[in-house]
Amino acid sequence: MTDQELLRYSRHILLPEIDIEGQQAILDSRVLVLGAGGLGSPAAMYLAAAGVGTIVLCDGDIVDLTNLQRQILHVEESVGVAKVISGARSLTQLNPHVKVESLGVRLEGSALEEQVASADVVLDCSDNFATRHAVNRACVRYRKPLVSGAAIRFDGQLAVFDARRADSPCYHCLFPEGEDVEEVRCAVMGVFAPLTGIIGTSQAAEALKLVGGFGEAAVGRLLLLDGLAMEWRSIRLARDPDCAVCGGER
Amino acid sequence: MKVLIPSALRSYTGQAWVEAGGTVLSEVLADLDRQFPGIRFRMIDEQGAIRRHIRFFHGEQMVKTLAHPLDPEGQLLIVQALSGG
Repeated sequence: MTDQELLRYSRHILLPEIDIEGQQAILDSRVLVLGAGGLGSPAAMYLAAAGVGTIVLCDGDIVDLTNLQRQILHVEESVGVAKVISGARSLTQLNPHVKVESLGVRLEGSALEEQVASADVVLDCSDNFATRHAVNRACVRYRKPLVSGAAIRFDGQLAVFDARRADSPCYHCLFPEGEDVEEVRCAVMGVFAPLTGIIGTSQAAEALKLVGGFGEAAVGRLLLLDGLAMEWRSIRLARDPDCAVCGGER
Repeated sequence: MKVLIPSALRSYTGQAWVEAGGTVLSEVLADLDRQFPGIRFRMIDEQGAIRRHIRFFHGEQMVKTLAHPLDPEGQLLIVQALSGG
């Protein structure tokens, strides 16, 4: 670590749980952020500010005026620009020492698997169940920790699934894939702006703990946030031995 | 018992927490449907299976069957999968 880096990250290094070793691990890490919207914005910004070595930012959308109420990576002049371009610009302004790889597509199939396999931690900040299940399958297959966040209206959910641990459930253990699943979108249902900030920031916190090797990530727990009452509720999750995704993998 | 309703279904109940009676999940859901007609179908499909985006939790455990016994003094948490990002 250079003197400049020691200074820049000194408030982390001062924390004995992180210290130089933890910060160095953060600097050496590669984090995949799927979605550069309401959750991906604050998540990626904290990851960049904290010095994550490489952030892979994936999103196939362009910035829309309706995004700006909560998607704080993007500014008004970016309307009409690809979210990953706008996002990379903001992240680079925040911390030019972080390498940002922009993938302006909705990652699927082998491309998704390749990115998951090369990441240390994956953040699911996506807005649809198909992506959530595909990411989960790839994380189980390549045994990568998955930090899953979701937010709509005034409700937030956060969970960490760590396929490296024998006792950890996967996303499919909690919500099995199915055609009858009700997809509710922010564009239809609305979403309280700071709620995405709280959940996205919490995702960044869990990711930093995982790559930095400190604290206890929320593995095997589903955290529910009621943004109207400002109440968190934690529910323990068990692995489903008959899970179609992780049941036979470990 | 006290039942936490997910916000997507609060249009039926008008509030987050409601009271419902029963000693197994099916009875509690039947009582909920009696009080709030139509709410059960949003959680249980035509074949009587729990819909995949709805999960029930009781006493630190996921409740996976309608016959699962419930402690009337406990709480039933109904959670709906969210996909918004």
